[in-house]
Amino acid sequence: MTNSSFTWQRGLIYTILLAFAALYLVPLYVMLTTSLKDIEEIRQGNLLALPDNPTLYAWTKAWSSACTGSECEGLAPFFWNSVRIVVPAVVISTIVGALNGYALAKWRFRGSEMLFGALLFGCFIPFQVILLPMARLLATLGLANTVTGLVLVHVIYGVAFTTLFFRNFYVSVPTELVKAAQLDGAGFFAIFRHIFLPISLPIFTVTLIWQFTQIWNDFLFGVVYSGPGTQPITVALNNLVNTSMGGKEYNVDMAAAIIAALPTLVIYVLAGKYFVRGLTAGAVKG
Amino acid sequence: MGSLSINQVTKSFGDTEVLKGINIDVQNGEFIILVGPSGCGKSTLMNMIAGLESVTSGTLEMDGRDVTHVSPKDRDIAMVFQSYALYPTMNVARNISFGLEMRGVDKAERERVVADVAALLQIDHLLDRKPSQLSGGQRQRVAMGRALARSPEVFLFDEPLSNLDAKLRVEMRTEIKKLHKRLGTTIVYVTHDQIEAMTLADRIAVMKDGILQQLGTPAEIYDDPANQFVAGFMGSPPMNFIRVDTCDGGDIEVEIGGQTHRLTLPCSPGIAASNQREVILGIRPEMITQPKPENTQGIAASMDFDVIEPMGADTMAIGEWNGQTLMARLSPEAGQCAGANTAIQLDISKCVAFDTANGDRIR
Ligand SMILES: Nc1ncnc2c1ncn2[C@@H]1O[C@H](COP(=O)(O)OP(=O)(O)OP(=O)(O)O)[C@@H](O)[C@H]1O
Ligand SMILES: [Mg+2]
Repeated sequence: MTNSSFTWQRGLIYTILLAFAALYLVPLYVMLTTSLKDIEEIRQGNLLALPDNPTLYAWTKAWSSACTGSECEGLAPFFWNSVRIVVPAVVISTIVGALNGYALAKWRFRGSEMLFGALLFGCFIPFQVILLPMARLLATLGLANTVTGLVLVHVIYGVAFTTLFFRNFYVSVPTELVKAAQLDGAGFFAIFRHIFLPISLPIFTVTLIWQFTQIWNDFLFGVVYSGPGTQPITVALNNLVNTSMGGKEYNVDMAAAIIAALPTLVIYVLAGKYFVRGLTAGAVKG
Repeated sequence: MGSLSINQVTKSFGDTEVLKGINIDVQNGEFIILVGPSGCGKSTLMNMIAGLESVTSGTLEMDGRDVTHVSPKDRDIAMVFQSYALYPTMNVARNISFGLEMRGVDKAERERVVADVAALLQIDHLLDRKPSQLSGGQRQRVAMGRALARSPEVFLFDEPLSNLDAKLRVEMRTEIKKLHKRLGTTIVYVTHDQIEAMTLADRIAVMKDGILQQLGTPAEIYDDPANQFVAGFMGSPPMNFIRVDTCDGGDIEVEIGGQTHRLTLPCSPGIAASNQREVILGIRPEMITQPKPENTQGIAASMDFDVIEPMGADTMAIGEWNGQTLMARLSPEAGQCAGANTAIQLDISKCVAFDTANGDRIR
């Protein structure tokens, strides 16, 4: 009796889970199939049908020749813009966050709790609030419309999060390790290098994924602080979709959207395992 | 070399004063043991000696050199932490040699030291393992090895044996004693274990609430305690405390087994001088025994025992004096027939008396 009701409940749970999984996967499926169809087939309106004659036309166009406003070079240049913004921003904010978190967790100093509180507060400041002051700052620094400027914005905004991640991870490391290493003659950086760095793989993965996703997907900063030659891919995608020459090319739009989303997908697949492990190991505890 | 002088040292965390003016002079090569109830500031004092915690006021000197504000790595002190604090990602050999590595000792020399230390502590076969792959006792030895590798001027041990099982603890205790004999390095050692304190120490420092209560040899602490706290803290089972009336001339009166005994203690002149009507008599269980004809100084009495606790070598028997609980230490044979109206003998040559108000010793 209990046994059969147990399996009955099991069945229900799986059904619900499958339904939700389908709900999430259907849009992806539609995007993928649409991007492989030609425009004639799309006009027939069979949204869920598999493509009759799969073609990469939409993909090549989206990548290299679709119009994003006045110029028609596809997403490629903007993809590389994004890479040039994301890579330094992620690397710098992660390294700064690691050092900050280490210092805040293990080297208490006068005002360190307050500094941490302020950083925590930084996590909750909405993007919109800092738009204007940041624009002023970038202009003053002569970094308006530059890749360096965007990197700086993302580093500043990201450091609050990365510091929080690392601090919460390092807080659970016994302080006596630091004391022992101090007696062994190691200084601030030597202790970080020899004792903290070797145990940090999970939290580095979490931070890398988090920062990569945040910065790659960012639209607001990208649209506000970039110039004509420095727009990131999200902005270009928006322009591509909104630039219509003649009829709307849904297949190109879909291919472009997938191209824009692909790097974050790849990162998740490659490092997702560590991501979950790292979240539970670091961010939750402490 | 290796002398240590702690002068009027205090420590406050915010508004709470944890150490209230500690003075200890440690001779070169001395083995000092710090004891005291949990939270009395022992670890804090150790951390301050090591330089891991700042000194609020007072000074610390090593070999006559003021080190109050010297950084930990320039003090030439090695410490074994209660939790071992082994570096989790390094193997045993690197754990031991890390301090040398940080001090720029070359590789060949480091390997030689690791081999020496490992042989001494019998951990040669574990050198490639990570700390997580070791048993508690092995970790403890690695922690010792890390301290030994540097041959410092002063060793600090903060409850190093507290995580070990009873047998291993006895073994390690002997090892530490041998080590101290061989190296002759100054050691400051925290423990909650009475036997460790009594067997290892040259001198014991008893602390309470951030105040040093007494500093003396184990015999002084045991036989000549400075106050009731020290008397009650050292010794297991602890000293009996009985509130008694005083008589003219400083004698005391106590009712044992229905009879009132008038006793003249070694400190009777002191009691007389103090003019107290009541004092607290301190008498250790082993001073109340079955009659021993060979001891002619003993005072004969008889009393009732309600509870008998055989402990192997001795039997503890619990009864009452002046209506207050008291423990006697009998031989196993005497213990077997102890009960109502049992003959006992008192040795009052080491009895002490304390002020009822503040527990100060009356001498
Ligand atoms: N960083 C700190 N901030 C505030 N109070 C502290 C701090 N470290 C220790 N204390 C307090 O100082 C007192 C002494 O602590 P300490 O660790 O020296 O005790 P202990 O004698 O070593 O005790 P135990 O035998 O339990 O190890 C305790 O009351 C503790 O709460
Ligand atoms: Mg302690």
